[in-house]
Amino acid sequence: MTIHKPAALYMHIPFCRSRCAYCDFNTYAGLEELIPAYVTAVCREIEVAGERWGRLTVPTIYFGGGTPSLLPLDLVRELFQVARSRFYVSDDAEITLEANPGTVTVGYLRGLRSLGVNRLSLGVQSAHDDELRLLGRIHTWAEAVEAVEWAREAGFANLNLDLIFGLPAQTLARWHQTLEAALRLSPEHLSLYCLSVEEGTPLERRIASGALPAADEDLAAEMYELAEEMLAEAGYFHYEISNWAKANPKSQIPNYKPQKWWPEPETRSLKHETLSEEVSPYVCRHNLTYWRNEPWLGVGAGAHSWLGGRRWANVRHPREYIAACGTSCQLVPHQEVEEIDRRKEMGETMMLGLRLAEGVRDTRFQARFGRGLEQVFGAELAELQDLGLLEWNGRVTRLTARGRLVGNYVFAHFV
Amino acid sequence: MDQTHIRNFCLLAHIDHGKSTLADRLLELTDTIPARQMTEQVLDSMELEREKGVTIKASAVRMRYTATDGEEYELNLIDTPGHVDFSYEVSRALAACEGALLVVDAAQGIEAQTLANLYLALEADLEIVPVVNKIDLASARPDEVALELAELLGVEPHEVLRVSAKEGWGIEQVLKAVVTRLPPPRGDPNAPLRALIFDSHYDPYKGVVAYVRVVDGVLVQEEPLLLMATGAETEPIEVGIFTPEMNPTERLNAGEVGYVATGLKTVRECHVGDTLTSALHPASEPLPGYRPVKPMVFAGLYPVVNEDYNSLRSALEKLQLNDAALVFEPETSQALQFGFRCGFLGLFHMEIVQERLEREYGLDLIATAPSVAYQVVTRSGEIVEVASPADLPDPAIIEEIREPWMRIQVFTPADYIGPVMELITRRRGIYRTTEYLDSQRVVLTYEMPLSEMIVDLHDRLKSATRGYASLDYTFDGYRPGDLVRMDILVNKQPVDALALIVHRDQAYEKGSRLVRKMKEVIPRQLFKVPIQAAVGGRIVARATVSALRKDVLAKCYGGDVTRKRKLLERQKAGKKRLKQFGRVVIPQDAFLAVLRLDED
Ligand SMILES: Nc1nc2c(ncn2[C@@H]2O[C@H](COP(=O)(O)OP(=O)(O)OP(=O)(O)O)[C@@H](O)[C@H]2O)c(=O)[nH]1
Ligand code: SF4
Ligand SMILES: [Mg+2]
Repeated sequence: MTIHKPAALYMHIPFCRSRCAYCDFNTYAGLEELIPAYVTAVCREIEVAGERWGRLTVPTIYFGGGTPSLLPLDLVRELFQVARSRFYVSDDAEITLEANPGTVTVGYLRGLRSLGVNRLSLGVQSAHDDELRLLGRIHTWAEAVEAVEWAREAGFANLNLDLIFGLPAQTLARWHQTLEAALRLSPEHLSLYCLSVEEGTPLERRIASGALPAADEDLAAEMYELAEEMLAEAGYFHYEISNWAKANPKSQIPNYKPQKWWPEPETRSLKHETLSEEVSPYVCRHNLTYWRNEPWLGVGAGAHSWLGGRRWANVRHPREYIAACGTSCQLVPHQEVEEIDRRKEMGETMMLGLRLAEGVRDTRFQARFGRGLEQVFGAELAELQDLGLLEWNGRVTRLTARGRLVGNYVFAHFV
Repeated sequence: MDQTHIRNFCLLAHIDHGKSTLADRLLELTDTIPARQMTEQVLDSMELEREKGVTIKASAVRMRYTATDGEEYELNLIDTPGHVDFSYEVSRALAACEGALLVVDAAQGIEAQTLANLYLALEADLEIVPVVNKIDLASARPDEVALELAELLGVEPHEVLRVSAKEGWGIEQVLKAVVTRLPPPRGDPNAPLRALIFDSHYDPYKGVVAYVRVVDGVLVQEEPLLLMATGAETEPIEVGIFTPEMNPTERLNAGEVGYVATGLKTVRECHVGDTLTSALHPASEPLPGYRPVKPMVFAGLYPVVNEDYNSLRSALEKLQLNDAALVFEPETSQALQFGFRCGFLGLFHMEIVQERLEREYGLDLIATAPSVAYQVVTRSGEIVEVASPADLPDPAIIEEIREPWMRIQVFTPADYIGPVMELITRRRGIYRTTEYLDSQRVVLTYEMPLSEMIVDLHDRLKSATRGYASLDYTFDGYRPGDLVRMDILVNKQPVDALALIVHRDQAYEKGSRLVRKMKEVIPRQLFKVPIQAAVGGRIVARATVSALRKDVLAKCYGGDVTRKRKLLERQKAGKKRLKQFGRVVIPQDAFLAVLRLDED
């Protein structure tokens, strides 16, 4: 029997109704008429990848964007069909689709559910309509609430909400209201992003011109800490720097009380070996693949992949991508191909793994690289521990509460 | 070429009056550089010169020109910098020439370095051809400026050439004037060889390359050479001319300008100002050399990583070949460890030296706060020169501290006398005289401490006069002052490299401004960092850099991995010009904060 390599599958859908003011993702407004041809191209890429990599085992599928909820149901079905025909999609696969309020109906969501999508991620961002307008979102808070209700009606039992904090002129009180409003919707999962003002976005121009104030960094840190407290209180497990999952009420671990972050050493009631999945069934398994630096295949325009010791990205523009898939029968032209040597891979494993509450474990590191954490990063670990940014007990290392706020400072020691 | 058909001349002007652009036109008209290879200010070939749009190095180039009488001439042109910090380049170029084109901007008129450079040229006995440039400008006043120049030089106004280097107007008459109005070289071709080294650079393959002006005799590649001051002998590897690239010719005749690749690998054997002669038939007397340069400003240069100390030494030695105004000696600092105390002609010079060391030699450096050289008279009557505040002796043994004073001349439209006055008196300047250049423009003379002048006086003058003022200065003498050392403590630790010497009356004010400025430029660290200014152990000012709360809480998914990693790698590698002191990181800007105390 052949062993089929596992790889998460990411499908990029680079279309949006209109462009949000802060967005620098690879997405395009006004190109919706390309969608059918685009889906055909993605199917073609999946077929080619199937030939290239063999029948990969796919434990998770993620439709990201862009706005994947702009895909008509029959095209979603087509993508599934091709994926299932080329790969082993596990029976219990986690299948996520990103959707934006204002682009879905209850019927559409029912359709997704019946096609096998079992996790929905809604970009709701804020409970305040003025903030939504500032961000250039196409929907209101009321529409977001409606979308959540429809998702429940359609049978989604695993729902994520995206929220953004650290907006220009946002106050702590307003952020508090957004969190409360979001918690009232009882999502299984929450992703909280600190707004980063990216170059070339309309938001950046407005701040540069003085039309909007720049966000206050210290205040953003406080908003983050407020969220940590409120979500812990509400029973969410803070399993990654920006991600929370509703903890399993009947958690396998006795005495587990949700905490701000993974319990601190003295009060630890978790075994060192405990994995995120054991604390909450709602952690995003697809994203865990990234943070554990495990392989994935990304298909679609601009999608990145990490497979067979290299990282690469596809051509970015959907038109070019469609053209490329149409002409080259072998492979989609890959840009930015990068061979990842051992040292780089170790660095990336730290940079990503330290984002997780479960941290980086020595046994896993050993098994992967043949050398232990102490041996490779002894000096860095000691220094960061000394600075109170890392916890390191010889078996596992993870960020402290302080370390989480200055993640880049910590990660820079390892790359 | 026989000497009567050679002309050696340089281009002199105040900064930005168009020397290098005029050189472009001369090179074009003589077909020295084919039109398709031409770029603007082609002689400004250094990366820094192009970026800053300023000439830093004098550069020589040979042209061939057929005059209207059909005779062919060899013209050796040296383009010089106009910025006052590079005046040593000018004075050395002068010794290689018999004549100079004095270029003046038709809109700006005569400015400070127009006069300063003219006086240098007259001292060197050069024949001057005045040229009014930029006559194409709408604001040009060619008649007035020509008249001023004519009066200044005692010539007829019609002898002043009028050109537009940009538009290429009047260039032919410039070449004609060079041939007819400038004298040929006067050296003796049959005497033993004497060639003046006016510049040099280091080439990894050819060793020290000396730029020479052959005064007497002939320089041929086959003949061994003697450097008269150092006594070093060498067999030249290559002899040639600048076109403007180095172009081998095997010989240089009396009166010609070119280069000799000496093959010398030890840079100390070849000095600018030395005379090259034949080792077989040496001349009896060397040529008069150059007056050694007198640095105005001192600062420590330290490698960010201590292992680079030896590379820094060798880089300084090599750079000195190409920058004769640079002086340096080893220095140690508690905070920065091993480095060099360097002397510069001004802050722009200092900035250029740091940049060149970093770019041309791949070093990462920290420069300490610039200081002038003080004289300390001790109780026992000794006089000690102190060019670094950290070296100031124990106050108990100090009788008196003297500081250098300058005589400065400000050229400004009369409308701005008020603001200029105010600016200079605020900096302890003492008014001396006012002279009218014409009805509009005046020259104000003051005396002021050098320490007050180096700190952005030039920029402040420019902004007080909408860019119209220009400044020249000469050393006047040392005068006693009520001066004290101000220590700067970062995280409670005194950082010797940040110490400065200030007038007692200004200690509080300067201290407060300085710590505030430093607070702005020291990045937030993981812990809060107090910054204090102290005089004689007493804290006079304090500010606190608050602790870093957050360093990006951005999300990170699949597509971001490479980008994130590269960002972090850059963040790590991008610690340029940052020095780690224990747990505190101090960037270059903190050392230079003292220069920006007047900004708000
Ligand atoms: N309008 C006009 N501009 C000119 C003329 N000649 C030079 N310029 C401009 O004046 C500026 C300075 O010219 P440069 O030739 O670099 O001046 P420079 O005297 O060599 O300057 P430094 O070497 O830095 O002292 C440039 O922007 C030129 O384009 C001219 O005849 N007319
Ligand atoms: S919906 Fe998302 S991907 Fe689309 S423009 Fe807005 S932020 Fe960008
Ligand atoms: Mg120039």
